Amino acid sequence: MRCMVIVKATPDSEAGVMPGKQLLTEMGKFNEELVKAGIMLAGEGLHPSSKGVRVRFSGNRRTVIDGPFAETKELIAGFWLWQVQSLEEAVEWLKRAPFDGDTEIEVRQVFEADDFGAEFTPELREQEERLRAQVAAKS
Amino acid sequence: MRFMMWMIPGNGGSVAPGNMPDLDGVIAMMKYNQALWQAGVLLALDGLHPPSMGARVSFADGRFMVADGPFAGAKDMPSGYWMIDVASRDEAIAWASRCPASAGEAIEVRQVQEFTDFPADVRQALTGHADMQVQGARQDEPRRHLIATP
Repeated sequence: MRCMVIVKATPDSEAGVMPGKQLLTEMGKFNEELVKAGIMLAGEGLHPSSKGVRVRFSGNRRTVIDGPFAETKELIAGFWLWQVQSLEEAVEWLKRAPFDGDTEIEVRQVFEADDFGAEFTPELREQEERLRAQVAAKS
Repeated sequence: MRFMMWMIPGNGGSVAPGNMPDLDGVIAMMKYNQALWQAGVLLALDGLHPPSMGARVSFADGRFMVADGPFAGAKDMPSGYWMIDVASRDEAIAWASRCPASAGEAIEVRQVQEFTDFPADVRQALTGHADMQVQGARQDEPRRHLIATP
């Protein structure tokens, strides 16, 4: 299964403060271990929410709200996408992550086509797989 | 420039474990996904199982703690994402606005940090990181997940 490991924002990440050299180096080593173990599929950091927006939907109306957004604990600073056997395996890997301070992380399983069962007809499945193959081929 | 478009369901994180997205909604969304792809802007996309099936890990005060979902007050956590590559923030907002989302939902548009966005000392500490991302993407051949090389 794939899971998304969401690293939540902190006051520092929202202020655009970069991690120190030591933490960056340790994180680089951790990422290297994840890659060697075949766990890491992707990983990215995001600019602070002050540079982002939210688009709110209400019928045909779209309202654009500029960041920053208040609830730091519900904001995302970055993420990984991991290939693991279980959520527990992802948690085990996180025990080795070089985080300090008040970092909070949320681990969420990614939907696969099989999760939808029979409702997801062969035609829909083919359409979905075609799109994914196209996206994959783009690299 | 790359942007994450996070779908924020605005339902208080109250979705029960095993709850599946509505199929009509999925079909409408697949058309939107196709439009993103045909425009050449789509890099990756996924839906996430609800927070009630997830886990939270915290590192507060050097202590490692794990809590299983559901979580109170998880209303702003995403239910899925698209990663797109567009020329500007305005273009990203225009794409987000075209999404067939339901009332009460929101899309948070956030720029992805590129290697070149970092100061020189940080770039030095991160050397090799960009290569690793691509290697990482190659681990999952059948359903490989794509990240553009910075």
